[in-house]
Parts: sequence; structure tokens; C-alpha cells
Amino acid sequence: MNKLGTIIGFTFKNKARTKSFTITTLIIVLLITIGMNIPYFIDKFNGEDEAAEAARIGVVADSGIPAAALLLDYTAPEGSDSKVALESYASPEDAALVKGLDEGDIEGYLTFGTAAGGGVPPVTYHSKDGELDQDVQMYLQTALQQVNTQLIAEGKLTPEEVSAMFAPVSIGTEQLSGSAGGADGAAPEETSPINFVIVYVLLILFFMSIMLTGNMIAAEVTAEKSSRIMEILITSASPLTQMFGKVIGVFLVGLMQIGILVATIAANLLLPHNAGVLADFDLDLSQMNYGILVYGLILYILGFFLYALMYAAVGSIVSRTEELGQATMPVMMLGFVNYYIPTFSVAAPDTLLVKIASYVPFTSPLSMLLRIGIGEVAVWEIAVSLVILVVTILFFAWLAAKIYRTGVLMYGKRPSIKEIRKAMKAYKF
Amino acid sequence: MEALKLDKVVKQYGDKTAVNEINLKVEPGEIYGLLGANGAGKTTTMRMVLGLIYPDGGNILYNGKPYSNELQHLMGYLPEERGLYPKVKVSEQIIYLGKLRGMTTADADKSLRYWLDRFEVPEYYNKRIEELSKGNQQKMGFVAAVIHKPQFLILDEAFSGLDPVNVELLKDTVKELRDQGTSILFSTHRMEHVEELCRNITILHRSNTVVQGDIREIKKGYPREEVLLRTAGDVSGLAQIPGVRGVQLTERGYVLSIGELAAAQRILQHALGQSEVEHFEIKEPTLNQIFIRAVGESNE
Repeated sequence: MNKLGTIIGFTFKNKARTKSFTITTLIIVLLITIGMNIPYFIDKFNGEDEAAEAARIGVVADSGIPAAALLLDYTAPEGSDSKVALESYASPEDAALVKGLDEGDIEGYLTFGTAAGGGVPPVTYHSKDGELDQDVQMYLQTALQQVNTQLIAEGKLTPEEVSAMFAPVSIGTEQLSGSAGGADGAAPEETSPINFVIVYVLLILFFMSIMLTGNMIAAEVTAEKSSRIMEILITSASPLTQMFGKVIGVFLVGLMQIGILVATIAANLLLPHNAGVLADFDLDLSQMNYGILVYGLILYILGFFLYALMYAAVGSIVSRTEELGQATMPVMMLGFVNYYIPTFSVAAPDTLLVKIASYVPFTSPLSMLLRIGIGEVAVWEIAVSLVILVVTILFFAWLAAKIYRTGVLMYGKRPSIKEIRKAMKAYKF
Repeated sequence: MEALKLDKVVKQYGDKTAVNEINLKVEPGEIYGLLGANGAGKTTTMRMVLGLIYPDGGNILYNGKPYSNELQHLMGYLPEERGLYPKVKVSEQIIYLGKLRGMTTADADKSLRYWLDRFEVPEYYNKRIEELSKGNQQKMGFVAAVIHKPQFLILDEAFSGLDPVNVELLKDTVKELRDQGTSILFSTHRMEHVEELCRNITILHRSNTVVQGDIREIKKGYPREEVLLRTAGDVSGLAQIPGVRGVQLTERGYVLSIGELAAAQRILQHALGQSEVEHFEIKEPTLNQIFIRAVGESNE
């Protein structure tokens, strides 16, 4: 056990200190920080735009046209983004209007044609460039629509009825209680948006971490093999101790990396200017399904070990670093399947594919995470999946140790599976 | 009792026999030479001794007992190709290797500093292996192999790639370890090192033992066939002496090959009759010649 500790310590220290690890982690931290602050900055820039350039539009009309008066009276409903200031002018030749247009203070002006019926007469927008800004157009359209209704409904409806007509219709949602999943004895899942986000974040985080650390292990084993230090190591400590020392050491590196990333996310969420962002996206941390974090950690650990062992075994077979990419391809493919099944199923977490995948050991870590997070799953299902996973890991630990023991002493070209099997018999332990 | 004993050890890879019934004994405080051309089975033999691979037949006994994990702390190994982490500091990796061999951090550190001082390179403590020259990497590999004062030391081509000064330094160190009682299994292509260091040798050729035993005994078994003669003046008619097969005039004098030992005396008398003799030597066969002959003969 003492040797195991020594190997874990040495692996951790050396891996955590490598440039590639430091740089990767820093880049991800930077990306997360930028990504999480983008909504704030977009808000900020937009806000400034509007404040600075509330478009001034002239309305040229005789006082006799009721539509113009109503339009000038129109106020946008609360919460509306675009800001347009309407100003009344007597004629297009009005000195103030001409000056404003020349200096660019006023964007353009509106004129009214002859009314065809009871509604708003055709409106023409005049401006230097002949273009109408989309926001302004939206604003005017809404405003004129309302004016139109007012004109037509005049006298028939009270002002309150008119304003009620324009009140936004709200659609509320409420999940039926005691249906579906409840029959299995599982707590009905409240799938609030925060859980979607958490599942997404965890999927990406775990997939990335498992792939990165897995490659780290394979590269380390191959490097030790090609520098022949392996021969000294194998005579100093048993291969099983070494393999687990390395896997656990790198596991701690991966855990530390995830810790750093989670801390980055948390720190960014706590920044005062980001407090509103969560609310904007309708995310509420109190609605979070905390079980997913606990299960997530368990599934991450198990998933990590399964993939780490496969990577260690593959790394031990290859003699040169250049051949490593090709050799790890099958393991990487499995990793992608593990990631993409749940990622593409976030919208429909209870499909047969996801259900099957959540029991297959190579895909269960992330698929089960999805089901726990936003799908419907009974406790016994989780238990069965975890047991299958653990048993598979034990089997792979045994197999990987055997391959490792054999592989690390095989040099030359990459051996075929048949050769490895033959050699495993020759090197019996 | 011998420290290390190999008894009819066989190793097969599939149909190919890598080592065929090798027997050898290494006493405490002995350097045992393992010679052979490339691919003769030296490294396989060493790996079996190290416990890296298991023999298919025969026994390997250490202090009379079979291999066990406790031996990991008693063995030191310098592989043919260095075997250190290129990007890790000398101190970190050698202390790490020492700890894997059962030392405490403090002991390993002390021992490492001793060896660095001994090799007059204390400044390497904080250097990374890739910053050192090939020869110095080799020295660090040697330090890694002996840091825990092993009882069994296995040196695979320990002196290859070293300059003469460093070869002497390492040779002296190896002799010192031998005198402290270490059993050393030593493989090399450089026969002069073997003649200087080893008492007993085994020459392997294509998995088989072709020559084995005490170097002096082995040499006695081979006829002396070379005479070195240096005289003040020229000597003529050497080639006509009965028993002389050939004469060469070299910088060192005449080198004559003879078919029988008695011819040597006739050469000396003949030379004395014509000039003053400065040097006369009936040369022992060198290990090099024995090696080439042994390996060559079994080739036929």
C-alpha cells in the first residue's frame, strides 16, 4: 500500500505540473468565464445603444388627423425594448425638422395619406437613406396597429377594454402529480430548466474529463515503456500496484481539474452583475435536483475508472507515442458514443435507446446521468445499472492488469490480439 | 552458498527458444560476465533473473530461495537503454525509484547526494534528465540502480556510450560494490572490461551456452598461438623456422603466429642469433579471440 501511495503521489505531482494540463485548464477556465459573462455584456451593450440612440421620428400631420394624435399619445407597454421618440411637426418644411434631419438627430418622419375607411390612413416613412430600422419598424407597426384598433373600436369599447385587448396572453405550466413515474415508486421528477443546464454541464464536463485523463494515462504508460523506465518500475513494484497507482493519481488530477472548473462556474455565478442573468434565463438554483450531483459524482468516478483502465491497457500495448492515437481510437469511439447518446437525447430522455444505454457499462455513466437528471428512473434501475458497471470495472481491472503485465514488456511493432493472448500465456503470473 | 544460482533455465517465446538450459552461479562479491552477440539471449536471461519474466523451465534461486516480492528491494537494474523519465528532475525520480525499492525519502535523498558527490556532479540534483548528456544520463541511471544498496546488481551494457574517464569511474565504483559483497551480473560487448572485472563468464550464442567458466581456465584451454618479438635490428628468415605459420611486421615489432608451442623457443634463439631482443612474449589468446572463435565455430 505504501508503494501505491508513492506512485499516486509521483503521478499526481508530475501530471498536474505538465504544461499541457496547466494550459488546457486555463483555457477552459477562460472560456467558461467569457461564456458566462457574455449575456451580461450583451445586455450592457444593448442598454447603452438604446440609451444613446432613442430614435427620434417626426410625425408630420395636420391636427385634423385623429390617427396622428393617437399615435403621438401611444406609449409602449412596459418591458418593451425599443425606444422611439415621436415628435409632432406641422409640415415637412418645418425648420426644426429639416435641421434635425440634416444633422442626423432625427431619423426620418412619417406622413399620412388619405384615409380609405375608418382606420389608419396609409403611412409613409421618409428618411435620407430610405431605410427603416427593424426595431423602429416593429415599434411603429405595433403602435399603428393599436391606433387602428382604437379608431375602429372608438365608442364601441371602453378604453379599459381596448387596453385589455392588448394585454399579453400568459400561458402557465403545471405538471400533473401522481402520474407516470410515480407508479414505480420514484419521486416524480420536477424537470425545471436548471436541471437541463446541470445535466448539460455535467455531460460536457465528464466527457471532457474522462477523455483528457484517459489519454493522459495511455500517454504516460507508453512514455514509460518507450523510455524503458518501465523495466525498472516493474522490478520495483507489482504491475497491478503500478497501474492502479497511475490510474488513481491521474484520477485525482481529473478531479482537481473538475474542482477548478466548478469553482470557476460558481465564482462567476456569484459575481454581482451575473445575479440577474440566472433569473433572466428563468433558472432557479433552489429547484435543482441535488440527487443528480451525488449520483453524478458516483457515475463520474465509475465511468472514469472503466475508461482509465481501458486506456491503461491500450497504452501498455503500444511501444511508441506516435502509434498511440491509432491504438486508442476504439476506446475513444466508445467515449463518443457514451457522450452523444445522452447529449442528443436531452429533449427526450426516456427513449428506448437511452434506457438500453443506461445499462450498458460503456455508456451507462452518462446515459444514466441523463435519466437521473431529467428523465424518469426508479431507484432499482439506478442500482442495477451501478452494479453492472462495478462488475464490469472489476473484470476490466483484472483484464487490464493482465494485458498491462504482458504489454509493457512487448516491444517492436504493435502486437495483434492473437499475439497478446499468446504472450499472456507465456508471461503467466 | 552462492547468492544467485540459475539451474537449467529455459525460456521459450512460442516455438523459439530464447534461452536454452543456462546454468550459472554468482557468489557474493563477484562480478559475473554474460557475453554474447546481439540476440544471443543475454537480456532475456537478465530479465528472468529480475523476475520480469518467468522461466519456462529450470530454477532461479536467490540466496537459496525462489523469487519472491521481497527481492524487489534487493535488486538493482540498469537497463541497456537508460530508463529514466526525460522530463523529471534527477532528484525527484531517483528518490521516487528509491522509495519504490523500500527506502524512506530521507534515506533516498541522502544516498542520492552521496552518489552525486561521488560522481562529482552535485549540481545535477535539480536538473532534468533531458538536460544531461547521454553519458551523464547513463551515470544517473547507474545511481538509480544502486541507490538502495542492492544485493543483486544487474548491469546490461553499463559502460556503453561513456568516455574513457567515466568508464574508469564506473568501473572503480562497480569494483567497490563488489568488494562490499554485491553480486553483480554484468553484460557487455567490450572484452577488455570483462577481463578486468570478471572472474567467471558465460558466452551465449544463439540461446546456447558455448563457453563457460573461470576466465584463466578458459584461456588455458585455448592454445597460445601468437608470439610478439621486438628486436634492436632486423631479423631475417623468421618465416622459415619450422612451426611458424605467418609473420607480420607491425609497429610493436614482429607478430608471429605459430602452430606449436615449441616453435616459440626456436624463434627466440633465431632472433638472439641475429640481433638484440628487447621484448619477447608468448601471448595468451585474448577474450576477444576466444569469443570470435567460440561464436564462429558454432556458426559452422
